[in-house]
Amino acid sequence: MISILFFGRLGDFAKNAPRTVKASTPAQIRELLTIKHPALAKELSQPQVLVSVNQMIVGWEQPLMDGSEVAFLPPVTGG
Amino acid sequence: MRYSRHLLMDDIGEAGQQKLFNARVLIVGLGGLGCPVALYLAAAGIGQLSLCDPDHVELSNLQRQILYKESNCGELKVNCAKRELLALNPHLQISSYAVEASAELLNNNFDIVVDCTDNLAARQLINRHCYNQKKAFVSASALGWEGQLVGFDFGHNPSLCLNCIIDENSPEPSLNCGNSGVVGPVLGAMGSLQATSVIRLLLGFFQQHGEMQRYDGKSGRWLCLQASAKTDCAVCGVIN
Repeated sequence: MISILFFGRLGDFAKNAPRTVKASTPAQIRELLTIKHPALAKELSQPQVLVSVNQMIVGWEQPLMDGSEVAFLPPVTGG
Repeated sequence: MRYSRHLLMDDIGEAGQQKLFNARVLIVGLGGLGCPVALYLAAAGIGQLSLCDPDHVELSNLQRQILYKESNCGELKVNCAKRELLALNPHLQISSYAVEASAELLNNNFDIVVDCTDNLAARQLINRHCYNQKKAFVSASALGWEGQLVGFDFGHNPSLCLNCIIDENSPEPSLNCGNSGVVGPVLGAMGSLQATSVIRLLLGFFQQHGEMQRYDGKSGRWLCLQASAKTDCAVCGVIN
């Protein structure tokens, strides 16, 4: 299983979303969320959302290993 | 004595304080991040500070931009900031530029550029320039309850830059502080960490090239993320 962290304001869209899934890439996690959690999936599709696997920033097609933690982080651009 | 709390520390001392005094630091953006950065660096005795921001002080700035007072509304931020910083520490050389960040400005002689801007285009301009000039670059941003910090010491690390993490061709996100808000102390926290990173760079303690810190003030959580260089990066990629 893959554990998922929705960081920051993404957590507000993920109140009823699963925190563990079976998936082979972060992109597949987003795809799995599309039907039951469309608002969350839409947020994950915004530009500049970062993805990390075990605290390493990766691309959406990064292969996942069982037991990995995937974090999704929304863009933060203000100053 | 002004710097006695630095001089008491074995890893700063007189030699470290002299390094801070000899430093030339450019702060781009004098908003919620730039205000605490400028205040802490001026107080710390950074000898040459340059301030860049084209904007005037507005009432809606005062919730978070701690250099300014209500009576400053309508004044150029760089003029107000320069006056306040010199009142804090009159021994510094402070230059002000009431312009947007540009290659022409960045070509001046700075040791470190502190990115306190509010848009990706300015960040990428600074990133590319600092990479090409092998200068250090400390970037932060904030939105809502969240903050982000990342620094690059290009003088010692020839690969991995901001463009490896956030592609310069990405569209600007729709949310910004102007349309969705920001918590003032989150900006203060991130700006304080930027100032700490600048001091760490100047004293030779910086080991976090490309490491990203994320803070969520609503939950009180931090994340520390590593990044890797992209071989096809348009700025630092080896196959570019």
